[in-house]
Amino acid sequence: MKLFFLHFYILCLVIFLGACNSTPSEPERIMLDVQLAEDIIADPVTSRDPSTGRALSNNLYSLFDLDTNELILSSSVTDKDQRRTDSSGTIWDIGFRGTTVIFNGGVSGPGEATAQILTLPFETVFDEPLPSDGYVTDGSNTTCPSIETPAGPVPGSTLAICTGSGNGWYNYNSNTQLITPIPGRTIAFTTATGNYGALRFLSYYKGNPNPPDSDQPSRHYTFEYLVQPDGSRNLFRMPSDN
Amino acid sequence: MAKLPTYCYSGLIWVFCILCLLGTLTVSAQTVIPDYSPKDSIRTIEMTPLVITATRSQKMLEDVAVPTTIITSNIIQREGALRLGDVLANQMGIALFDDHGTGIQIQGFASDYTLILLDGEPVIGRTAGTLDIDRITLKGLSHLEIVRGPSSSLYGSEALAGVINLIPSPPKEKMEGAASFRIGSYATSDMTLQMEGGRDWGGMRVFVNRYASRGYDLSPNIYGPTTPSFSDWTGDLRAHIKLSERIKVKLGARGTFENQESVFASQQLGQTEERYNEEGARREWSIHPEIDVQLSKKTRLNTTLYRTSYRTETHHLRQEDEFINYEDNFDQTYSKAEIKLDMLWNTKHLSNIGGGVIGEQLGGTRYPSTSEPESSHRYFFIQHEWLASDLIHFNTSARYDDHSDYAARFTPKLSVIVRPSDQIRLRASIGSGFKAPAFRQLYLAFTNSSGGYSVFGSIPMSDGINQLEANGLIQQRLLDVRELDPLRAENSVAYNVGGSITLRTWLTAQLNLFHNNVTDLIETQPVAQKTNGAFVYGYFNLAKIYTRGIESELRMTPQLNSQSSLDISLGYQYLQARDREIVDAINEGTVYGRSPSGRDYRLGIGDYTGLFGRSPHSASLRAAYINSKIGLTASAHGRWRSRYGYRDLDGNLFANRPDEFVPHYAVLGATISKKFTFVPSIEFIAQVGLDNVFNHTYPTLVPSLPGRRGYTSLQFNF
Repeated sequence: MKLFFLHFYILCLVIFLGACNSTPSEPERIMLDVQLAEDIIADPVTSRDPSTGRALSNNLYSLFDLDTNELILSSSVTDKDQRRTDSSGTIWDIGFRGTTVIFNGGVSGPGEATAQILTLPFETVFDEPLPSDGYVTDGSNTTCPSIETPAGPVPGSTLAICTGSGNGWYNYNSNTQLITPIPGRTIAFTTATGNYGALRFLSYYKGNPNPPDSDQPSRHYTFEYLVQPDGSRNLFRMPSDN
Repeated sequence: MAKLPTYCYSGLIWVFCILCLLGTLTVSAQTVIPDYSPKDSIRTIEMTPLVITATRSQKMLEDVAVPTTIITSNIIQREGALRLGDVLANQMGIALFDDHGTGIQIQGFASDYTLILLDGEPVIGRTAGTLDIDRITLKGLSHLEIVRGPSSSLYGSEALAGVINLIPSPPKEKMEGAASFRIGSYATSDMTLQMEGGRDWGGMRVFVNRYASRGYDLSPNIYGPTTPSFSDWTGDLRAHIKLSERIKVKLGARGTFENQESVFASQQLGQTEERYNEEGARREWSIHPEIDVQLSKKTRLNTTLYRTSYRTETHHLRQEDEFINYEDNFDQTYSKAEIKLDMLWNTKHLSNIGGGVIGEQLGGTRYPSTSEPESSHRYFFIQHEWLASDLIHFNTSARYDDHSDYAARFTPKLSVIVRPSDQIRLRASIGSGFKAPAFRQLYLAFTNSSGGYSVFGSIPMSDGINQLEANGLIQQRLLDVRELDPLRAENSVAYNVGGSITLRTWLTAQLNLFHNNVTDLIETQPVAQKTNGAFVYGYFNLAKIYTRGIESELRMTPQLNSQSSLDISLGYQYLQARDREIVDAINEGTVYGRSPSGRDYRLGIGDYTGLFGRSPHSASLRAAYINSKIGLTASAHGRWRSRYGYRDLDGNLFANRPDEFVPHYAVLGATISKKFTFVPSIEFIAQVGLDNVFNHTYPTLVPSLPGRRGYTSLQFNF
């Protein structure tokens, strides 16, 4: 019996060492640069109703181009013609109004942007190619949790990024009244022109306060993301690509 | 009082009976509570106390089938405790938690799940669910009884986590007076004057207590104190009279008045700081007549009337122009009439049946004066005790509550006690508990001016949404509120299993395992979306939690020699209080944390410490040295609690990062008391004490914990 265990240990040791030695020497990957978008306004409070003190805002989206890291149309722009012109093309990829996030596709725009939420830390998106399926356009998402009520379920939103606390990208803390991005959620998306990328939200408050601070103005998005311009689902380049 | 054989199910013998004379209800009946309030401290510890809370009839503490603890007036006295929180803080199984006042947690439940009774009748007045236990003076009490686990089958709503019953001492049969005065740090003072007297046919006791403090400031760089200055007066009357051998009438009345003053500063973004005076007042009173009629040798009828009122007022005055910036009034009245029949069938069977009506009224700033909420409530309860043999006793009880504003409910409980020997008691119970929806969950109609959202309680919800819709403010309804079932009470099923063992005459160990399964916890959910994008919220029975753990206590009362003894209690509690939804999500592997540097990492079940404000481990200590010869008592008492979560920063809605916790801490107090007798019949007790010896403070996190405080007190008994 003793002998058996001895053999077993040796076997294990061999397998273990063998595993160590067998790491292949792959060419080193070069990560894509992570882009940072800071304080993208998403229809912030503009004024207060003088009689009730109620917060007022423009009730408009900000539209953002992920390829160039540029704000295409701010929610502060109210001119209808300009808004129509700027929102009609595929130059923008993602839009924000309050906690609602839209992608330029489906019911939200003329592009072919799609998205899905992965339960993965953002850091791990380099490890493997992004998923090939599961992406939906705004208006065609059937997975958003319905609101369970005693009168029966009420269907959830149909946007690619579900609305509501705990359903999409954020949690609302009713004690501190803070909106915080849910940790361990990464949005995999395709841009309006079909390039793959990944994104995570960092803050909903102006100046990306750490820890989050509800005294700072809300509806200011800070997020990090990357886009693979070559159309593949890998978020890295091989050295030969240079 | 009759002397009973020890195993003779003492409670039963006291089953009196009655003829109910409604006309005489302005006075009230003598309770059956015997006076075991102590003349001699050593003797008291030895005596087997009688308790009433667990079964609503008298029973020896050790024969009660549910986890029950008593805290005697001796302990209150020697620990220098003034307010209810002072003495509960050092009690095994009870944790204090600050949230709009000092609340208590029992078995991991927040303050709104514990019922607090004064002589068997509920104390009302909660802010955000918390009943501030520092409102209640400990003067005039014989003892406190603490029942852990649900007792809703006897007491109804709120008795879900436990019941704390403050038992006044009955008046003595001779004239006596007592005066005490205490002064301590932060100009905290307490004065009491008490007179009592009686004969065998009746008695009366009156006391007046004033408790005041200048308040303290733990954050001197912030304008305004941590706690306000206040003065609090309590007047209390307890009287009883025996109208005949069979009819006893009892009356209790109490009034409390508190005024407090404070200052604070508030600063809107981008504006200059504005300073305010804050003034608050609280007025409470209660009246409690009771009549006890012995109908026959084996039946007794008890009729109780109770009315209590709780009223607060708060003003914020801007200092520069005395403009009243904020005003809030709250007014609650609670009236109850109850009738209870105790029946002793034979030596093995005892029943209690009863029923009552409760009316409640609410008024104040938050409720429109045109439609002040009013509710009515009927209930019936029944309890049967079956003393099957010396070895085993059963107790079953059930209660039906029919309330005008939430769904009716039925609450049963079964408990059993097994006594394999005189030294061992094994207890098990399974019972249901419930908590009625809070006032806001029923009656609130509120629109947040800055956020633009609205919240409706279940009663005004339908009308409120119709009104918003008529004003063109509703974009879409998410559900048809007319089809909603009425809001249900929050509901628990609890299991308690444990026992006690007397290892030596001076050494007893107790253990209790508890598991509370709570469903139908009330949370908000959107019911409609407004045109401004904000939601209209309603209250629904949604969440599920469970709390489970171990309560254990070791009590040592060794006699050192003929004059001196020790009395030491060591308590330890292990607790898990968890949200089922979070537990399920963690088990699915979808829950992550985010480090301050932004790295996301998956959390396991070990990273989940449970609901906010709950320490997984807590310990308590009560140690006293008592020398009856020289009248000296020394006490060291305190508690320790492990860290507990208080906020979420990384977006997963529970505490997992170190900066989301209040660190563990210990609070220890010590006193020395000496009794002098100058002339016979005049007794004089001097005490010095120190609270929070280690001077632990967390100014923002635990504002109710002041630094080290000293005090000295004198008491005359004449």
